[in-house]
Formats: sequence, C-alpha cells, structure tokens
Amino acid sequence: MSRNKVLKIGLLLVMAVIVTRLFCIQILEHEVWAEKAAAQQTRQNVLLAKRGEIYMMDGDEPVAVVMNATVYTVIVDPMLAERQEVEKKMNEVLGDERTAEWDDVFADKTLRYYVVAKNVGRKKAEAIAEADLTGVWLQANTERVYPEGTLGSTLLGFVNAEAKGQYGVEGSLNEELSGKDGLLRTVKDINNVALSIGKDQVKIPAEDGKNVVLTVDKTLQHNIERILEEDTGKIGFKNMSAVVMDPNSGKVLAMANVPGYDPANYGNVGSAADYVNHVLEDPYEPASVCKTFTFATGLEFGVMTPEKTFTNTGEITVDNWPIRNVEQGAHLLGAQTMQTALNYSLNTGSTQVLRWLGGSETDITQTGRERLYEYYHDRFGLGELTGIELYEAEGVVYGPNADIFGIDSTYANMTFGQNMQVTMMQVAAAFSSVVNGGKYYTPWIVAGEMKNGEFIESEEKREPVRQTISQETSATMREMLYNTRRTWRTNGTDKPGYYVGGKTGTAQVIKNGEYSMDETVATYIGAGGTEGELPSYVIMVRVWEDGKTARGEGHALPVFNDLKAYVQDYLRVKAKE
Amino acid sequence: MRKHKSDRIIGVLTVGLLALGLIIIYAIGPMRANVTNAAYGTDYSENYFFLQQLRNVALALIVFVLAFRVPYRVVRKWGKMLIVVGLGLCALLAIFAAIHNPVASCELGACRWFNIAGVSLQPAEVLKFGLVIYLAGLIAERKKEEKLDSWSDFWLPFTIVSGLSLLFVVVIQKDLGTGVSLMAIIMAMLFMSGVKMRYFGMALGVVGLCGVLAIVSSPHRMERLFTFQAEDSSDSYHIENAKIAIGTGGFMGVGIGNSVQATGYLPESINDSVFAIMGETFGFVGLVIVIAAFTTLLLRLLRAANYLHDTEESLVMIGIFAWAAAHVVVNIASMTGLIPLTGITLPLLSYGGTSMLFMAAALGLALQLTCWTSREPRTEEDKRGQEKIERTARGARRAV
Repeated sequence: MSRNKVLKIGLLLVMAVIVTRLFCIQILEHEVWAEKAAAQQTRQNVLLAKRGEIYMMDGDEPVAVVMNATVYTVIVDPMLAERQEVEKKMNEVLGDERTAEWDDVFADKTLRYYVVAKNVGRKKAEAIAEADLTGVWLQANTERVYPEGTLGSTLLGFVNAEAKGQYGVEGSLNEELSGKDGLLRTVKDINNVALSIGKDQVKIPAEDGKNVVLTVDKTLQHNIERILEEDTGKIGFKNMSAVVMDPNSGKVLAMANVPGYDPANYGNVGSAADYVNHVLEDPYEPASVCKTFTFATGLEFGVMTPEKTFTNTGEITVDNWPIRNVEQGAHLLGAQTMQTALNYSLNTGSTQVLRWLGGSETDITQTGRERLYEYYHDRFGLGELTGIELYEAEGVVYGPNADIFGIDSTYANMTFGQNMQVTMMQVAAAFSSVVNGGKYYTPWIVAGEMKNGEFIESEEKREPVRQTISQETSATMREMLYNTRRTWRTNGTDKPGYYVGGKTGTAQVIKNGEYSMDETVATYIGAGGTEGELPSYVIMVRVWEDGKTARGEGHALPVFNDLKAYVQDYLRVKAKE
Repeated sequence: MRKHKSDRIIGVLTVGLLALGLIIIYAIGPMRANVTNAAYGTDYSENYFFLQQLRNVALALIVFVLAFRVPYRVVRKWGKMLIVVGLGLCALLAIFAAIHNPVASCELGACRWFNIAGVSLQPAEVLKFGLVIYLAGLIAERKKEEKLDSWSDFWLPFTIVSGLSLLFVVVIQKDLGTGVSLMAIIMAMLFMSGVKMRYFGMALGVVGLCGVLAIVSSPHRMERLFTFQAEDSSDSYHIENAKIAIGTGGFMGVGIGNSVQATGYLPESINDSVFAIMGETFGFVGLVIVIAAFTTLLLRLLRAANYLHDTEESLVMIGIFAWAAAHVVVNIASMTGLIPLTGITLPLLSYGGTSMLFMAAALGLALQLTCWTSREPRTEEDKRGQEKIERTARGARRAV
C-alpha cells in the first residue's frame, strides 16, 4: 500500500469514528442531552396563587375575617455574620420577637443557617433590610391574619404550615380558597436573562383562590360566642355549641363552639378535639328534641292529636329493656294528653306514638318502624348529609329492618332521640321544616364571593328540596312546641306578641358500652318570631362536659333563653301589634 | 507537464465553507456580543462579530485568490524567508511577553498573539506556512541528492527547524493545539518524504517521548489530558456544554438563530466551539454534511499530492493537507469529547483572523498546485530522472 493511501484510509477511519460518535450523541443520546440543556437553560418559577380571603356579613356588606399578610423569617449565617454588629442591630429591631439565643446562633458556624425570628412584620423586616448586615437575610412568607382574633375559629379552621386548609371553612373549601398555582418557564441565557428563542416557553398564570363570603353575620356570631363564653362560667359546663339559622331559607346566621382557639396560634390547643366544629362534624344523640319529629310523624299519619290521651304507666318494657320517664310525678300517671307527653317529655308517650303508627296500642310493629324511618330519615334527613358546603358528618339512623339486637327497643329509643347519631345541623334543618310549614331547605353557609372588591352573590336557588310534613301538621307542631316551652318557661323571658316554641333534650351518653346516668348532654332547640307569623329564626344549643350531667331544661334552656333574647333583638323581630 | 484547470472542488468547498461560517456568525454573533458585553462591560454592537467576520472572509478570499495566482516558484523563493520570519516573530513575542509589553497579548500566562493597533496576529500561523514550504524544499532537495539518510545534510536541519518551531509554540506559548497541528505537518511530510520506515519509526518514537515529557512536565497539560475525568474543571464544563449543544441538535437541529447554548453556556461559541453550535443548529444531518465537505476537501488535497510528480510540490500539498486535517480532526474530536480539549480552530468556519487568512492562503496555493497534476499517480520510488526531465520541460515552457 502506498503511503498516500495509508493517509487516506487513516483520514477516512478517523472521520468514520467521528460520525459514529455524532450519531451516538445526536440520535441515541439526544434525549439525555436535551434534558441537560433544559435543566441549565430554563428558569422555572411557580407563580403562587393568592389564597382567597374569608368574609362574614356585616349587615349587607361582607367584611373580611381571614386575610393574608406577608411576614418574614429572619435568618443568620453565622459564618458570614459579624456577631457584635448583628447582635446589636437585631436586638434593637427585633426586641422580644427574637426566638434564638445569640450563643446558640454562633455556636456552630458551619451550620450557615439559623432562624432568629419568625413572622416578623413588614416594618421590622424593612429596618433589618436597611441595616444591610452581611450574613443576614429575610425570607418572605404569606401568612393568614385574623383581624377578628378568635372569632368563629372552629367554623373557619386554619391553614397549616404546608399552606393547606385544615378544619372548618379553610379545610372544607381548601381547593377553592387555594386557587391554582401558575407556572412560568422561560429559556434564559447564562446571565439569567429571558430569551425569546427555544420551544420550552410556558406561561400559565396563577388563578387566585376565591374570596369566600359566608352567610354568617359577624356581629351575631361575635355575640353568640360571647354569650356562650359567659354562660360556660354561669352554668358551669365547659363545652357549648350553638347554631342560628333562618328556617325559611336554610341560611346559617351563626355557628359557634366554645371553647374556641386562636387560629393565629393554632398549635396552642389542648387536643385536636378543640378544632372540631361540633355543629357539623360531631354526631351525637340529641335525645328528646326528636320527640318533635315523632309527634309530627304521628300527626301526619292521623294516629294522634295533641288532645288524644294515652295511659302513662311511668315505665314500659320493650325487648326486655325498660323505657322510663325522667318526670316521675304521680300527677303525670294515668291518662295523659299527647301535649302533656311533649311538655313533660314522656318517653312512654313518644313510644306510644310509634305503636300507634304501626296500628297497635301495645306493640311496636314493622309498619310503625317503617313509618317512623320514612319520616326521620327520608323526610327529615336525620342520619343523612344535609348538603351544606362544609365538612359534615353523616351519623347513623338505623333502618326499620336493621339487623341489630333489639330493633324494637332501638326504635322506641329513637322516638326520643336516643340510639341514633345525628349532627346538630341535621336536627336544626329538620326542625326548621317542622316549624316553617313543612319545607325542607338545604342549610347553606356560603353567600357568594368577593371579586375585585365587589360582592357577587351565589346564584344558587334557595328553594325547598322537599315537603317534610303538611302545613297543618306544621301549624299544630308550632302550637305544641309553644305550649311545651311555656311549661318550662320560668323567668318570663318570652314577651307578649312574640312566638317562641321549643323542646329540651337530655341524652345519656354511652360509656363503656352502656348508657350512663353519670354523663348527659343537654340540648335545646327552639324557633321564634312575631306571634301569628312563621318563625324567623331557629336556635339550637348543646351543652356538655366530660363526666358531668347536663340537663336540657336546667342547662341548655337558660343558654337558649340568653341567645334568643339577643337574636330576637338583633334580628329586630317585631312583636305582634 | 502542462498546466491545466485547477481542481474546482477544492475551490468550491473552500468558498462554501467560508460562507457557511459567515452564516453561523451572523446567527450567533449578536448572542456573543451580548454575553461579552454582560461579562466584560464591553460595548459590542449586535452586528460587530458578523461585520468583523465579513471583513475576515473578504480578506481570506483575496488571500486565497492571490495564493492561487502568485506562481509557486515565487512563493518558494520567499518560503525560506517565511520560516525565518515566523521563528523571529515567535522570539519577538517571547521578548515582548517577558517585558510585559502590551503588544504581546497574553491569556492565563500563555502569550500567543501580537496585538498591534487592534489587529492581532498569531506568529504560529506564519510558522506553519513557513514550515510547510521549508520542509518541502529541504526534503525534495535531499531526496534528489539521495541524502535523506544523511544526518548532517538532512536530519540535523530538519530536527533543528522542527524542534525550534515546536519549542516556541508548545513550550513558550504553551499552545498544545497549534503544537499538535505543527507536529501533524512535520510528521506527515516526513512520512511522505520517502525516508526509510525504520527512520520514520525512530522519529515517531522520539516525538512520542518528547510528547510524554512535555505533558508530564506541565500540570496545565496534565489537566487538559485528564479533563475527561475532572468533573469541575473549566475544560470539562466546556466539553460538557459542547456535547449538550451537539446532543440538543438531534437529527435536524433547532434551526438557525435558535441556538441557546450560544447565549453564554458554551465557551468560545464563535471560535473553537463553532462546530458544536452548528451541531445544535443543523443537527446530525448538518454535521454529516460539514464533515463530508471537509473530508472531500482533504481527500482532494491528498489525491492532488499523489498526482503531483514534483516531489516538492507534492510535499507542499501533503503539508497543507496535514495542516487542515489536524485542525479539522482535533477540533471536532475535542468538541465531541473524543480527545482532551486542545483549543484549536475549525478551518474556515471559526471566527478569527490570522488562522483563517493563513488557511485560505494555504488552500489557494494548494489550488494552484492542482493545475500541475499529471494523469498518472506518482509512485513511491518515482524515478528521479523522469522527474528531472519533467521539471526541465516545465521550466523551459515557462521560460517561453
């Protein structure tokens, strides 16, 4: 081979190697290199969506009760920072907001990162920034602020450190409140300047969260909470919950639980139970307030009238379980009207209604159970989600043929609101339909949203979803509830010209698998308005404390009376002229 | 031997590659200006680099045509001067550098350019051209005298001139890239001189030994050699980004003007790294075409060398071939990570004055020589007598 040919073949071989190499890099490994290119050439920013604020109503105007603020975390790099200079300036600016000891900050210089204060306001942050200290920097965070302090804490919930809503409105409506983060991806040159070339340009603007306006009236809410707080001391029970609603639309006007907590320092609670909104999330046995529903069912089927009598023996036995009355006075034994049975909350009376529903004087029958279940569950919606916009529990109401031990005794108990688990909201919504002419409204608490400072009302139609009972039954029940309330009205709170009707409930609580007489929960539910007109408000109160016996007429009724007095005034309910 | 038409392929490819380089600089020049302005606070206009390159290309074309026109015998006469001028300039540069005169343009302790009134000149390029002419003349002369085996008549001058050139470039200017191309020229010409393979092998051994010594003696060069492993050295950053550019191009490339790597990620994007930018812009298809163009050009030079019966002319052709081939191969192999980064331009495509002008001159000369090829290839042991007859004949005709 000539030497010239050697060079020629050598050149061709080298070129072949190069082309092979290019094939590898450009065709086979293309994805790998393209990814590396994207990694260094693109700048990706998450465009943070602003979390929606939460408003309550102040009359007709929404007012923010949960807002956003920018706060700062102050960080020191002990390796770069001049201790004396930093210490002097920071002590001056931060004062007692400083959370770290300087000795700890400078103990280990290799840490490079030490948080010396959190949630520092804008003015102090600006002062720190102006000082221009080496090794000190500020990190901005968005934080929820609560101009009304603890107002409605269990209703509103809070936002945790991961910016996720927890409990209440924050938790239930987290998705709407959060909005959607946007994305900005630009191709940039080596100096981080955005370029117009490249196919990796993406801009998805952030969708800010919805500013939710609640139906809750701020002043009303505030005062309901105040009264409950005061009454916990006066009456001597730690826990109280209340809901105020408009029975003629299902609109929730106030929803309160005490004790509340400070959402700005949500960590400082005794237990997670303090976060719970008991009106919605905590099913319980409301006890005798349910006689309202039993008697309404009896009236609907025409098996009773307020004047119809039954023989009260003080105690009966169903499935070998005794059914006793709390009121054991001798004057209540023998033939008693159903009005008396409701007035004195005779469990034997409500059980009698169940027997009559089944076409029997002495026995509980399948038909009776089916009829009660149809009204309790299907019509009044007990043991069913109400459909309110927030988290709510479902509870349990056993079906007429449920495969459980002692279905008859269960149903006998259900006539006075035991052996079932329902939420206050379910009871209040059902009760509203009992007094408003039989119209069941889905309770609602979201009035609409604020958009660019303008209140946009929700377009949802607030129409009754079903008729629970007839107008006549409703009228009769209003009368019966009015009479029942009068039986227990001891201090003349209800003034002439006003209608107020209501019912107590005292529920035994299951302790160690048995109903205990050592712990009871007290409930009172009532409706009020101008005499001769449909009631304009419904108030439900629940009073309890672990290990204590709270009684409906003794503990819940006085709280109701206090609330009722305020609500009637605040809503400017007129007396009949 | 009659003069005939030149090898048009060489002419077309030279002009075509120059034009391609101009297009690339047009596309990425503004990016380069941007990056340079941001980094050094300079104030280059968007079109600065393109206009500079336009001027360079225009000059290169003039030089190319001149080198094609000026008869080789004239070039030959000044050729021996050129090697002296080249070595002299190198020595002058070293002196200026030593006294820190700003005329010597230095970078990281390596002084490779003269910078006089904004015009830069790299004496190593003069050296390459001079060496090709000088060695071709020396070898052809000694070969004619059958003294290629003579130590004092051939090997001594050969070694001194080659060694001196390498000394200036590799040791003083610390320019291993140019050293490699010089070495390619020297070794290719020696290989084609017809010296006994035994001697060539010995020369290769000596060069290898010197190479190892040169590398081991300089940590700077050690680093370059081990760039492949060194993750965070600037060279490995350079190669990594060259590969990112080439890899991103894929099959068809991102299209002209869409190179992102040219916006500052890839160092030397308009000079030594222009091949990688073309990879990003034109993809595999584009690079294969560019490589095919270079390969064709180089093969045409090699072929011409084989058909030039005048030993000196054939050796000049071989020198030019080795010069261009070394630049093409070393540059591309560097950019694709096949060999350590050496810092050497891609002929005709890279931005830059001196190297482009001298390459254009060399190719112009090569084109002129293609006019004198014969129909039959020369043989390894071409009869000197025949050669002499032809030379005489040509000389006689030229005289007419």
